[in-house]
Amino acid sequence: MTDGPILSITGVHKSYGAYPALKGVSLDVRPGEFIALVGPSGCGKTTLLKQIAGFEDTTSGTIRIEGQDMAGVPAALRPTSMVFQKLALFPHMTVAQNIGFPLKLRKVEPRAIATQVEEMIRLMELKPEYLTRYPRALSGGEQQRVALARSMISSPKLLLLDEPLSALDVKLKKVLQAELKRLHRSVGVTFVHVTHDLEEAMMLADRICVMRAGKILQLGEPADIYYRPADPFVAGFIGETNLMPITVTGRNADRVTYTSSEIADAQASLPASLVAADVGQGAALMNVRPELIRRCDKDADVDCKLPATVTEVFTKGGTVQYRARSRQGHELAIEIQGASHLPMQLGEDVWLGWSKKEIWVLKPGEA
Amino acid sequence: MDMEVSRSWRDPELWVKALPSVILQTTCFLAPLVMTFVLTFQKTQNFQLNWTWNLATWTDVFSKPHYWTILGHTLVMAVACVAVCIVIALPIAYGLATRFKRLDSEIKVLITFAFITDATLKTFGWVLFLDKKGAANYLLMQMGFPPETVAFLFTDWATLLGMVYNLLPFAIFTIYLSIDNIDRSLILAAYDAGAGKFRAFWEVTLPLSRPGIWAGSVLIFLLGVGVFLEPKVLGGGKSPMSAELIRQTFETRVNWPLGAALTLVLMAVAIFVVLLFSRVAGMRKAGQ
Repeated sequence: MTDGPILSITGVHKSYGAYPALKGVSLDVRPGEFIALVGPSGCGKTTLLKQIAGFEDTTSGTIRIEGQDMAGVPAALRPTSMVFQKLALFPHMTVAQNIGFPLKLRKVEPRAIATQVEEMIRLMELKPEYLTRYPRALSGGEQQRVALARSMISSPKLLLLDEPLSALDVKLKKVLQAELKRLHRSVGVTFVHVTHDLEEAMMLADRICVMRAGKILQLGEPADIYYRPADPFVAGFIGETNLMPITVTGRNADRVTYTSSEIADAQASLPASLVAADVGQGAALMNVRPELIRRCDKDADVDCKLPATVTEVFTKGGTVQYRARSRQGHELAIEIQGASHLPMQLGEDVWLGWSKKEIWVLKPGEA
Repeated sequence: MDMEVSRSWRDPELWVKALPSVILQTTCFLAPLVMTFVLTFQKTQNFQLNWTWNLATWTDVFSKPHYWTILGHTLVMAVACVAVCIVIALPIAYGLATRFKRLDSEIKVLITFAFITDATLKTFGWVLFLDKKGAANYLLMQMGFPPETVAFLFTDWATLLGMVYNLLPFAIFTIYLSIDNIDRSLILAAYDAGAGKFRAFWEVTLPLSRPGIWAGSVLIFLLGVGVFLEPKVLGGGKSPMSAELIRQTFETRVNWPLGAALTLVLMAVAIFVVLLFSRVAGMRKAGQ
């Protein structure tokens, strides 16, 4: 096997009539990687998956799989396999016929098909007596496994998953997420997983590709996306966060100096490693995750702090969420581990502080 | 919320609620059928109906092979019409449902137009076209064919042509609807699994459009068994079909008991064929 990317997408554009669904997407996927394409509805993630699968022609740009240009190669001949959002199990075929279908099309003899189908059934932990049943007689989770088995049986190079878990209830979703992860580890196939659920992407993927309006905003490991978002949209999409406006006044190799009308910071500077490379002098945003903020005293020795008034308290079982309003009217979200004794009360005037270790400074943009 | 439906026949409320439907069914369907049945045991003399209970009509029906030949001919024509209609309608419906999806509403309007244009008009149109001095022969002569190449007006083939022409929209419509209902991702899944266009059609689209094909077949068969316009106008009345025979028996020969008996025989045979049809279809489905 070569060391190069298994999937290489370069400058792919796709337009439906006048509507541009993909505006120049480039992405390299490493062999055996689990990559998640994440974004809101209409961001182009499913369109990109369709281009990879070969269901649609790209308007321009190239898609290579194992170095081979896929232009003009029909879906049937691509080494990819798709698990559809609605699963797309054939209702007129039994479970065994569904799973064995790709092999039947490759003219594998019936006995060999039966053996491989049984192997897949075992891998997917499906009961053998299901083989003769029709898909509609199976539960949602079982149908999911049948769909996966059908996609895996032809040993694809790339398994494409188009939000296959989105229709399931939360509990079943958790079970199947764990199973997907296990499956990925055990078969070593490259997974490209489309989802609008960022939590799911963080759980499953080695790398996450955040998309918006036909473009890739950021590609990186889950921790990169979470702690070092490339722009305010990514920061907010990943979960609730606090983006506080600051003004950068200077930057050298080690440190970045800044001022803020609200944040009290004795040093008024940050290590350059906590500031995105594209941040220059002028307006910037300090990204502070809700779980990093704590109540503190006015004179406490913390890196950054500001005064605020508690406006809401939500008890969420394991955690408690607060909303607080700063003196200049910015709303802040704070999340703490649940405790029987709440550290802050509704309407209370408090000081909120956080350490500079886990913050991130990024350029302002569309949120 | 849901109350269990366990009503007794003695429940008076049930009878009251069922009454409109019962009256409608009885007056419009059951009563005429019973009257037709009763008619078969009567006699006509001097173009007058005589209320004398006897089995003469039924002995006549079962002893004369002529009626059965016509019935057999009718069934053969109807089945042939079903086969030709399905074979023609399938690719048309498939094309309409897949290739011309953008013209969806226009297509439905056009199909509806095909239904509401009078069949008599269309059938006579074919006579003009297929006549010895008609447009078809004229065109073929211009192309160098000998005169009267199209000489099948007033044959069974012309009858079949007319039947297919008039009944084809039913097949297109039912098959179109069932193909249109197939989830597009199933077809994509077939491509993804490695199927070419033809294989995907054969393995997925065709089996899933079977309900439409059966519905269209049954509809066309029943309508085809009852045609009298096409055998008369295009077939020239040379080899009549059952419906035309029944019409003649009632109108020309004024033999109402015989007409009634022939009607019942045709109905029974048609229903039998449809049941046999659906039995076979049901067995194939269960065997999958």
